Amino acid sequence: MNPASILALTLMAGTPLLLAVTGELMVQKGGMINIALEAMMLMSAFTAALIATTSNSVTLGFVAGVAGGALIALAFGFMVITLGVDQIVSGTALNLLTLGITGVAYQQTRERFESGVPSVKPFAWASGIPIVERLDSTVLLAWVCVPCVAGFLLWRTRFGLRLRACGENSETIEHAGLPASNYRWSALAIEAFLAGIAGAYLSLSLSPGFAENMVAGRGFIALAIVIFGRWTLRGVLAGVLLFSLGSSIQFLLQANHHQISFHLFLVLPYLLTLAILVLSRAGTNAPAALGKRIA
Amino acid sequence: MNRRIALTVGAAVCSLLVIAACGVLLGVHPATMLASCAGAFGSYYAVGETLVKSCPLLLLALAVIIAFRAGAWNIGGEGQLIVGAVAALCVAQALPEGPLAAILGLMAGAAAGAIWAGIAAALRVTRNAPEVLTTILLNFVAEHFLGFLINGPLQEGSGKYPESEAVAPLSWLMTLSSTRLHVGVVLAVVLAGAMHYFLFYSAAGLRIRAVGLNPRAARYVGIPVDRSIFGAMLASGALAGLAGSVELLGVTHRLFERFGGGLGYSGIAVALLAFLQPLAAIPSAIFFAGLARAAGELQRTAGISSAVALLGQGVAVLVALTLSAPRFSSLRVAKAPASRPVPHLGESS
Repeated sequence: MNPASILALTLMAGTPLLLAVTGELMVQKGGMINIALEAMMLMSAFTAALIATTSNSVTLGFVAGVAGGALIALAFGFMVITLGVDQIVSGTALNLLTLGITGVAYQQTRERFESGVPSVKPFAWASGIPIVERLDSTVLLAWVCVPCVAGFLLWRTRFGLRLRACGENSETIEHAGLPASNYRWSALAIEAFLAGIAGAYLSLSLSPGFAENMVAGRGFIALAIVIFGRWTLRGVLAGVLLFSLGSSIQFLLQANHHQISFHLFLVLPYLLTLAILVLSRAGTNAPAALGKRIA
Repeated sequence: MNRRIALTVGAAVCSLLVIAACGVLLGVHPATMLASCAGAFGSYYAVGETLVKSCPLLLLALAVIIAFRAGAWNIGGEGQLIVGAVAALCVAQALPEGPLAAILGLMAGAAAGAIWAGIAAALRVTRNAPEVLTTILLNFVAEHFLGFLINGPLQEGSGKYPESEAVAPLSWLMTLSSTRLHVGVVLAVVLAGAMHYFLFYSAAGLRIRAVGLNPRAARYVGIPVDRSIFGAMLASGALAGLAGSVELLGVTHRLFERFGGGLGYSGIAVALLAFLQPLAAIPSAIFFAGLARAAGELQRTAGISSAVALLGQGVAVLVALTLSAPRFSSLRVAKAPASRPVPHLGESS
């Protein structure tokens, strides 16, 4: 078990998680809990894999992934922002619906996946450099660009200030003559983009191909990390790093200890997330209007 | 009340229409689709099978109802069902075979489910960890734990298959007449009636509903909020665990991979389509059980994934939610936002 491969694995395993966590942070700062993040990632993983195999283009796959995520975001936003339905209930229903849609669609298109899904190529210029040679541009995007842009957007711009105001007390925004729903829609659009890339990365790079329910709770883990990070950028970055470090060590241990049932290793990420939730004294520093409708 | 019934039926019909549209889109002959409905309700045997399938759904829906009514988001029916089934199997196999083993197996299942939900409830009450997430995470833990058990300590004697030994036939739940219809179905219906009485005609039920509608107001009138939530979560887990033990002792008789098979999540759909009314959950459970049976039939005859049942569940719930949405309905019952259950992520309740 050498440190270089642990680091490379950590960065790769953390990529979809970090994208999803950043998206969810945006949305929660705006006052919404989006449990359908899991559905967004599942849908985008499927559409990305499907379009990538059909067109034989990874780029088109990513575009389709974002479109798939946006589809779920549209449904969630319609339920929650336009109609004012409860957020948790809507998210749960969308998770069910997406499991159904992807299950049926995958069954119908299964033979297209048999020849293999085109996957993201690691950096060509970096061959020979340890760690970096195994990474690709999505990893760079997730670990460098996205946190910087999201942090700037949320805490250094007028848009971010108003979005955070929606999350604390949407009435203040409405009283200032601004439509709170527009800010929530914008946050949702950003999340759809990020979750779409995260899902596409899952099915085009991390484990090329599609399998039913392949997101395996990463959306829920992302929600837990947002809480662990106490809705701060630094906190969620630390959470993602901690979590993906733990899961990459688990992965390497699993590869080296065949005598121990792999089912026991599979439990570890979820136990780790539970531990994170217990340790974080959840709820402190939460946006005050989190989970509430626009007044 | 009548409006609610119209909404529910409308939503159910919509989900059927969407599934039919999917079928047409995928080139399934309408006659094949109609024939698959016969697989759900077409014969004495089919009706029996549908009722058998609706039994765990109803119990899981009751579990969801009591938790959601208390404002506790128990999404962990799946995990609680699995640990309930594991406990029931262990107890039934440890005891000499007979009805006593079955009864104690059911009780052990309920207890195990309550403990599993109790973990999430304790974390919510003491550490303010949102039960929405902890219950979901515990689902994954239970699933992989089951995988470990049936490939390890609980694997059947020959060690070839990823499943457990079967429970001895004398410890099975009694079946009614020639179908697989077991007494668990009767138990589930009785519990639905009991839940209705409890929620709407007892002081404890009123307290639970008050906590769910507005925890702050409930605290001001002296209701112990945390204890009510904890109690509701334990009852919820017990019902889900009971669903698992009923399914094990009444239908499958053994554990295997994917024992839960998403039943826990379907239970949420059943409860939501019934608008969290225990008695309405009975027809709702039968509807979704029929849908699942028809989907299974469609998979055999037309090669469409039985996941189409999940699609139907999602559509039914979304349509029901849309039609009853605060901004959509002209008869707005609850005007104040705080009078609907909202998660308490931010508040230290």
